[in-house]
Amino acid sequence: MNRWLTRRWPAPHWPSVRGRGRTDAGALLLTAAVIAAVALLAGAVPALLRAAADNAVQDTVRRAGHDSNVLVHANWERDDGPTGGRFRISRLAEDVDDFRARATYTLGPDLDAALLPPIAVVHGPILNVTDGNLPRTFQLTYLAGDLEGPAVTWIAGSAPGPAVPEQSIEIPYDGPPWPVQVGLSEADAAALNLGPGDRIPVQDGQGRDKDVRISGIYRPADSADPAWRLAPALLRPVPGADGVGTTRFAGLLSRESLPDARLAFDEDQLRRTVHFAPEPDVLTWDATATLAGQVVKLKAASGSSGVRDQSLKWESQLDTVLRDARTQISAASAQAAVLLAGVLTTTVLVLLLAADLLVRRRTPALSAARQRGAALPDLGAELIIESTVLSLSAAAVGLALARAAVPGVSWTWTVPVVLAGAVAGPAFGTLVAARASRDRRQPANPAARRWILATGQLRRAAVEAAVLIAAVAAFVTLHRRGLLPVASAGDTGELTGDLVLPISAVALGVLAGALVVLRLLPAGVRFALRQSLRSRRPLAVFGAARAATTAGRALPLLALVSATALASFALVVGTTVARGLVDGAWNTVGADARLDVSVDAEAATPALAERIAAAPGVEQVVVAQVTDSARIFTESTLLTPRLVVVDTAAFQRLLATTPLPDAPALAQITAPGPGPVDVPALVRSSDGDLRTGTRLQLPRDGAPAIRLAAVGTAPSFGGASDVVIVDAAALADAGLPAVPNTVWVTGPGAARAVSNSGVAADVVLRADVLRAQRVAPLTAGVLRLAWTAAAVLLALGLLGLTLAAAASASERWQTLTRLRTLGLRPRDARWVAAGELLPPVVVAAVCGPLFGALLAHLTLGPLELRLLTGQATDPAAALPWWLFGLVSVALLAAAAAVVPVESALRRRDRLSEVLRAGG
Amino acid sequence: MSSEPLLRVRGVHRRFRTGPTVVHALRGVSFDVAAGSMVALVGRSGSGKTTLLNTIGGLDRPDAGTVHVDGTDVTSLDEDGLSRLRREKVSYVFRNFGLIPVLSAAENVAAPLRLARVTPAERERRVELLLELVGLADHARQRPAELSGGQQQRVAIARALAASPRLLIADEPTGQLDAETGLSVMALLRGVVESEGVTALVSTHDPVMMALADRVIRIHDGHLDEEATGQPDESVPDAG
Repeated sequence: MNRWLTRRWPAPHWPSVRGRGRTDAGALLLTAAVIAAVALLAGAVPALLRAAADNAVQDTVRRAGHDSNVLVHANWERDDGPTGGRFRISRLAEDVDDFRARATYTLGPDLDAALLPPIAVVHGPILNVTDGNLPRTFQLTYLAGDLEGPAVTWIAGSAPGPAVPEQSIEIPYDGPPWPVQVGLSEADAAALNLGPGDRIPVQDGQGRDKDVRISGIYRPADSADPAWRLAPALLRPVPGADGVGTTRFAGLLSRESLPDARLAFDEDQLRRTVHFAPEPDVLTWDATATLAGQVVKLKAASGSSGVRDQSLKWESQLDTVLRDARTQISAASAQAAVLLAGVLTTTVLVLLLAADLLVRRRTPALSAARQRGAALPDLGAELIIESTVLSLSAAAVGLALARAAVPGVSWTWTVPVVLAGAVAGPAFGTLVAARASRDRRQPANPAARRWILATGQLRRAAVEAAVLIAAVAAFVTLHRRGLLPVASAGDTGELTGDLVLPISAVALGVLAGALVVLRLLPAGVRFALRQSLRSRRPLAVFGAARAATTAGRALPLLALVSATALASFALVVGTTVARGLVDGAWNTVGADARLDVSVDAEAATPALAERIAAAPGVEQVVVAQVTDSARIFTESTLLTPRLVVVDTAAFQRLLATTPLPDAPALAQITAPGPGPVDVPALVRSSDGDLRTGTRLQLPRDGAPAIRLAAVGTAPSFGGASDVVIVDAAALADAGLPAVPNTVWVTGPGAARAVSNSGVAADVVLRADVLRAQRVAPLTAGVLRLAWTAAAVLLALGLLGLTLAAAASASERWQTLTRLRTLGLRPRDARWVAAGELLPPVVVAAVCGPLFGALLAHLTLGPLELRLLTGQATDPAAALPWWLFGLVSVALLAAAAAVVPVESALRRRDRLSEVLRAGG
Repeated sequence: MSSEPLLRVRGVHRRFRTGPTVVHALRGVSFDVAAGSMVALVGRSGSGKTTLLNTIGGLDRPDAGTVHVDGTDVTSLDEDGLSRLRREKVSYVFRNFGLIPVLSAAENVAAPLRLARVTPAERERRVELLLELVGLADHARQRPAELSGGQQQRVAIARALAASPRLLIADEPTGQLDAETGLSVMALLRGVVESEGVTALVSTHDPVMMALADRVIRIHDGHLDEEATGQPDESVPDAG
C-alpha cells in the first residue's frame, strides 16, 4: 500500500502545547509584541503614504499655479462682409460662450469634475503705449465665466459700450482705426494718468495707431476672484511682463465692446482662450493617471494651429504637473519602502533570535519528549500551531491598531514578519528534537571529520555567496534602473515586483557587510586571545576565551550590525532631507529674507536697502533687478530665462557668508567681455540652450539690443532652471541701468527689518519657506518615517542584544561557574562576561554607522531625495556623526547594563545548581 | 598519614524546598578524612553525594553543621573567602570535564595558575610537569575537541592539581567515560594522590573504582553508611 495512504496526520499533544505556552509565556509575549509593533508600522506606513499622496497631488497642483491650467484655443469664424469689408459680429460674446460650452463638453466627465468652472479670456495683441519715455505696453482683455465676467464697480464713467449703435455694420479693411471702448482699473488709470473719455495712446507692433477709449474706471468687487489671475494687468500694472524694464497695463472689454475690439485689430490678432483651472481639493492620487491621460488625449486630438478652422486646440501642463506629482510620490513611496525593508530585515533577524532563545529554553523539554517517543511531525505540528496562532494574532492586533489610526492599511509588508514568527521557532525546535534522538558523536576517522567540516563550510559559503550575489545584483539594478516605477499604460503607481530587488539593496548590502564582519570577527577575537595569553591578566584571557568561543555565532552579530547600520542609514536619510530642506530654503529665498518690491516702489529700492542695512541685526543687504521670463535672444531662439542684474561684489560676499554655494565664476562678469561691446554674463539652463560661449541679445524698446556673452556657469538661483546673471555696473555701462526690484537681507534682524520696510513689497522669509517645505505632506511623511525607522531599528538592536545575551546566558554562566570553582571571584566573573558580550557589540557599534554611511553614499542618488527637498541636484549625504555616536553609545550602554543585570539575576542561583543544571 | 584530619564534616544538614515539598538531602552528616587519602563516596542517584561534595567545596551552604578543610571553616567564609579557598586548597574534577574549548590543553591546565598570579616561567614549568604526570605531554597544544573523553578528563585532573590543592573533589569523574577509560582515570587519580600528597574525595557508582579507594563512604537517603575498603583509614565516621 502506498505509504502516504498509511501515514497518519500529526497528532499534537495539547497538554504539552498548553504547558510549554504557560512556561514560556514571557518569551512568547515578547515575540508577539515585536510582530504586533512592526505590523502596526508596516501596515500604517503605506496607508499614511497614500493619504499623504492625495495631499501631495493637491499641493503640487496648487504650487504649479497657472501651469496646471487646461487651456483651449479656437479660431474665430471669418468676418468677411458681403461687400469685401469686415463685418461687425454683434453676437461675438455669445460666440465666446458657445466656445466655452463646447470646450467644457469635450473635456469629458472625469476632467470636468476635477476642474473649476471655465473662464473664457479674449486677448488683443500687445500694444505699445506711445506717451512718455518709459517702455509700457497695453492689452485689451475680455473675461467671461459661466455667468458673467468678474464683478466690478464703476467708480467713474461707465462700462464699455459699443462703438456704434448699429448692430450690424461692415467696414473696409483699410479704413481708419476702429474705435473700441475699455474700462481701466484704478491703479492702471492712475499710473497712466488717464480718465473716462480719454484715448489711450497706443500703437501695434507695426506702428499703427489704435483708437482705444476709456469708458470708465472700475474697482474689482473681489480682487481675489480667480478670473483676475488670468489677466493681472487688469487690476494693476505688471512689471517685466513684456521685457526688462517694461510695465504692462490692460483694458477691460465688455460683451458690448468685444465686437469692436475684433474690428480694431487684424482678423487673427484677437485670440480667444478658455481656461480650466484644476480644483486641487478634489484631486486624488488614484485619479492622477486617468486625468493625465485624458489631458494627453485632448492635446493629441487638437487641431493643427496652422489650420484655419474653429477646431479646439488644447494646451496644458497639467499632465506634466500630475506626472511630476506622481514621480515625487513614487520616489517617496520607494524611499519609504527602502526604510521599511530595513526595518523588516532587522525584525526578521530579531525574531530568529527570539526563536533561538525560546528553543534553547525548551531544549530539555523537547529532547525529553522526543526521547520518550514523540514523533517529530507531532512535535513540529505542536510548535507550528503555537507559533502560527501567535504570529497571526499579533499581526492582526498590529494591523487593527494601524487601521484605527489610519484607514486602508496594507498587510503586504507584514508577510515576512509573520512568516519569520511562524516558521523560525518550529524549525529550530524540530531540529533540536531531532538531534535529541540522533547519534551525533564525532566520527573517529579524521577524513570523515574533515568531510563533515568541509560540508558545513560549503553550506555556509553557499548561503553567504547567495547573499553577496543578491546584494550586488540589487545595487546594480538600483543604479541602472532606479527606484521609480517604469511608466506604462497600466501604471497604478504601486510598487511593482521589479522593484523588490532595488528596494532591498540597502538591507542586502547591510547583510553582506555583516557577513564579512562575521567572517573577520573570529579571527580578530582569536588574535586578541593570543595577545591576552601573553599577558598576566587572567580576566583578559578568560574574557577573550569566552569571546572566541561565541564569536562565530551568526544571528546575534547579523542582528546587531543590521540594526545599527540600518538605523544609521535612516538617520542619514532623515538628516540629508532635513539639511536639504534648509539648503532648498536658502536657494529659494537667497538670503534670510527677501523683499520683492512692487513696480510702484522700485524707484525707492536703493533708499529702502540703505534703511534696511541700518536696522539692528542686519548683516548684509544686496539689491538686484530680477526679471522672470526675461526675453533674451540667441542667434536663432527666443529664451525666457530669469535675468538677474546685480552688484557682483556684494552678491559674492553674500554667497561667501551664507550656506549658498559659492560661485567663483562671478568674478568673470566684472571683467571686460570678450568683445568690445559684449557684456559678460553667467548662464545656466536645464536643457543646454544657454552655454558658456553663447552670444545673447537683450532687446530694448527704441534702442539697439544689448549684446551679452556667456563667460561662465551661473550658480543655481531660486529654483529657476534657466538663469542669466549680469553685473549691474557692466549693464549700466552698456546703456541699461538696472532698476532694482529685489532686496536680499541676511542677519538675525533680517526678518524684522524687511517686515517694517514701509514700501509696497512682498516679503519672503527663509524661515517661512523652510517651515512650509517641512510640513509639505510627502516631505513630512518621509522625514517622520526616517526618524521612526531609526528609533525602531535602534530598539530592535537593543532587543536583539538582550535576546542574544539571554540565549547565551546559561552557557556563559556555566563557564563562569566552572571558573569560579577554580577561584575566580564573583566580581571578576562580571568582567569575563563583559569580555564575551562586548566584541559583537563593539563591532556593531563601530561598523554599523560606517556601513550606514557607506550605503547612504552609494544609494542616495537613486533614492531621488532631491524630489523631496526641492534641490536642483541630488543632495550629498549628510552624516550625523553625533547621532551615530548616540546609536553606538546606546548599544554599548545596553551591553554594559546586561552584565550587572544578568549577574544580579544569577546571584540567587547557587553555584552547585548551575553546575548541576549544566550536567 | 597525619593524625589530624584534612577534612572534618560535622552534623551537616541540607534541605531543598521544591514548592510545598521539602527534600532532606543531607541529614546530619559527620565524618573526617585524613590528609593524603582517597575516599570514594558512593550511593544511588539522589542519595546526596553531589550535595555533600558541593557543601564541602563551598559551592553550597549547609542549613546546619560545619565543614573544616585544612583547618578552615568553609561554612563561615564569604564569597571572597570561598574564592580564595578554591584557589588555594580545594579543586574540582567534573563529570563533563568543564574545559575551555578554545584553549589548548596546556592553557586549560594553566588557568588556575593564572588566577593565582603565578609567574609565567613557573606556570610553564608546572603545566609541563602536570601534563607529564597525566600522560599528555605530547598533547599540550591540542584543544579539548581534538582530545578523547579520557584525555579531556586527564587534562581536567591536571588542571585540578595545578594550584597544588589540599583537597581534590571529583564528582563522578568517569561518568561520561567507558569502563576502560574510567578505570585508567581512577588509576591516575589514585596515582596523583600518592605522588602529589593530595587528599581526594571521589563520588562514583562503579564498584571497580571503589577498589582503588582507601576508604568508601556510602551515603543513603542523606545518611552515611560507611564501609572501609582498600587501605585502612584511621578516621572514624560520626554516625550523627
